[in-house]
Amino acid sequence: MKLVLGYLYPSVMSQYGDRGNVLTIQNRCEWRGIDLEVDALEVGDRVDPDRVDLLLTGGGADTHQRLVFEDLLHVKGDGIRQAVEDGAAAFAVCAGYQLWGHYYRTAGGEDLPGLGVFPAHTIHRANQTGTLLDTITKAGSTRAVGNLVVQWGSRVLVGFENHGGRTYLDGGAQPFGRVLAGAGNNSEDGWEGCVYKNAIGTYMHGPAFPKNPALADHLIKAALSRRYGSVTLDRLDDGQENSARQRALEQVSRPGRWRRLWSDGVG
Amino acid sequence: MNGTGAAGGARPARAGQVTRLQGVPARAAAAGAGKTLRFMSRALGRGGGTTLPGHVAGRIDPGLVASLAASLPNGCVLVTGTNGKTTTTRILAGAARAAGLEVITNPEGSNMLSGVATSLLVRTNGLGFLDVPASTIGIFEVDEGALPSAIEALSPRLVVITNLFRDQLDRYFEVDFVAKLWEKAMSGLPPTTTVVLNADDPQVAHLGDDIDAKVIHFGLEDRQWARPALEHAADSRRCPKCNHDLLYDLSFYAHLGHYACKECGWRRPDPRFAAWKVKLNGVDGSLTQATTPSGERTIRLPLPGLYNACNALAAAAAASCLGVDPDLVQVAAEGTVCAFGRFERVSVGGKNAVLLLVKNPTGFNESLRLVLSAEGPRYLLFGLNDNGPDGRDVSWIWDVEFEACRGRLAYLAISGQRAKDLALRLKYAGVCADYRSRPAEGPAVVPMLAEDMVRAFFRAIEQTPEGETLYVLASYTALWTLRRELVQRGHLAPFWRQVQATRSVTR
Repeated sequence: MKLVLGYLYPSVMSQYGDRGNVLTIQNRCEWRGIDLEVDALEVGDRVDPDRVDLLLTGGGADTHQRLVFEDLLHVKGDGIRQAVEDGAAAFAVCAGYQLWGHYYRTAGGEDLPGLGVFPAHTIHRANQTGTLLDTITKAGSTRAVGNLVVQWGSRVLVGFENHGGRTYLDGGAQPFGRVLAGAGNNSEDGWEGCVYKNAIGTYMHGPAFPKNPALADHLIKAALSRRYGSVTLDRLDDGQENSARQRALEQVSRPGRWRRLWSDGVG
Repeated sequence: MNGTGAAGGARPARAGQVTRLQGVPARAAAAGAGKTLRFMSRALGRGGGTTLPGHVAGRIDPGLVASLAASLPNGCVLVTGTNGKTTTTRILAGAARAAGLEVITNPEGSNMLSGVATSLLVRTNGLGFLDVPASTIGIFEVDEGALPSAIEALSPRLVVITNLFRDQLDRYFEVDFVAKLWEKAMSGLPPTTTVVLNADDPQVAHLGDDIDAKVIHFGLEDRQWARPALEHAADSRRCPKCNHDLLYDLSFYAHLGHYACKECGWRRPDPRFAAWKVKLNGVDGSLTQATTPSGERTIRLPLPGLYNACNALAAAAAASCLGVDPDLVQVAAEGTVCAFGRFERVSVGGKNAVLLLVKNPTGFNESLRLVLSAEGPRYLLFGLNDNGPDGRDVSWIWDVEFEACRGRLAYLAISGQRAKDLALRLKYAGVCADYRSRPAEGPAVVPMLAEDMVRAFFRAIEQTPEGETLYVLASYTALWTLRRELVQRGHLAPFWRQVQATRSVTR
């Protein structure tokens, strides 16, 4: 069996370790004897909906979003929408997730139109509160930064979120999961991410796949099923993955230490 | 809890501001409280007391740090950047001392405004006025995020910026955000200030465009260190002027190199301090031949790696701005005492270990490259914590090229609170034996996992044969925990004593 992974904007939109998601898919396919080809799809490259089985897009800053949003709309948009409609698997993280919704309103109040794959829109918190982002403290006050724990079906996933945007789902939209710890979409309604067909949008960095292998396998399986009909994945030894997730979950509830003032010479 | 909290106490006050009537008692109280705290901190064994005194004093008299800095006879220098600021500060301070200047500096890590304030406070008299010789200058390293407030409070005569990489995104959020903060801070500098910038880093070099301050660039011209392609950890591949792609003629590491914008024509400025030949002697150091406005200079550095050669070049450029002969940089560089975790050598029971602090993908990549540069298998200990100073987000390890370790390790230990994340990263990098062997690339290792950094270190050093070196690459608090134990057991001196030792030796 063979899969093609379309890695969107690897040089621009992979600022938060999201490359780990690609490495995870590569390895988990290789261990199962599934051939995987990775297409790096930069600005200017089209998306062929008949070729790609799995699309990944990672996080980037506002400036990166501004660099890619027009390309996303006019060069890749049709291909991505067709692929997703046709059942291709997709995983869009953070800035990628935001641009796959209806629109993203930046801190400065500019609306970047999105793909509309996810029935959701995003507004930067600084725009909601009228905060001027001229110091780190002020920027920090608008952002949701920290460990993110999500109930996804019967599973508990763990990752890290770091975003200024707040995402609101349209009525009837299907969220990705429920927030157990962290902010998720908007720290108001308790939902995290969005799902449309086999596409998942989420704020979960970490990266998400290595410590949550079930999520990676879910997407591999969806991608294979679209091409080859119903498939069963070989089981892998995920002892290390599960124990890393467990340990990360313990860290979430740990009390804060290393206060700057008392630390001598640290930070 | 992390970040700007400590600096927040000192509300900006202009240097030279007329002191209010209650000014002298307030500053005396502030300075006195600060100094008492420092004494107590050391007496109680809580550490060097290198930031809290300044913080408390700033609360009592917010204008204190500005007025103290304003009374520095030779003004002050600020050094910032993601990587290399500590080493650059140390070399520059050494050169200034060798030139006969009395240097006030802050110990590494205490680089928020409160740390700078503390180092000034301890030099005050009972009334809270600086009590220093006329030859005194302040040379401070400052945190990237603290640069704007430090410039505002300290009115520096010289600002040195080494580079800008992605680092602690949980704290700085976005590389571009830091770049914007710097840009704003630079635009407010007067023509009397000089800025020393790295020409090879587009976002840093760009800071010198259209500002009132004098600008001097330093850069690398030695083509032999060019790499074929930009690395994954490269952050700014875009023209800071017009946002189009930068074309790289040479790429050294991360996004450092020789570049030009194909759209607007903006290109790397020609550096006035140019290293045209850098000879790296493995882990022992480097020899740099540089062109400077005052002629050819050779800088021999006992610290290894291309990035340290660049730090020395930055220090040379800064020194010449202070009127210090670059030859003295050579003298200072040779006597550089290793900073915290900057290739710090430790001997434990006749076995050798080297401590390397790793904070971000670029630093980690360069440290790995250095450790793996010589032939033969390596003994490694990785440590990863997720406390505030380490960055609570550990995702950056996925941007580090651990794949370079495949088949190169004789022994691997993994430690820290997030040891399991690291182990997973190494599994997916194909480094570990229990997972899949890559016979063509040499033997794979079975890692030893122990979250406790101290235990991991002593187990690892036990496994390291005599004559071999254990390389410890760890994040801030992981290394700090280990270092504290090594100090307690007498293998290392506390680093604030090291700073004092350097000072008294050169005096």
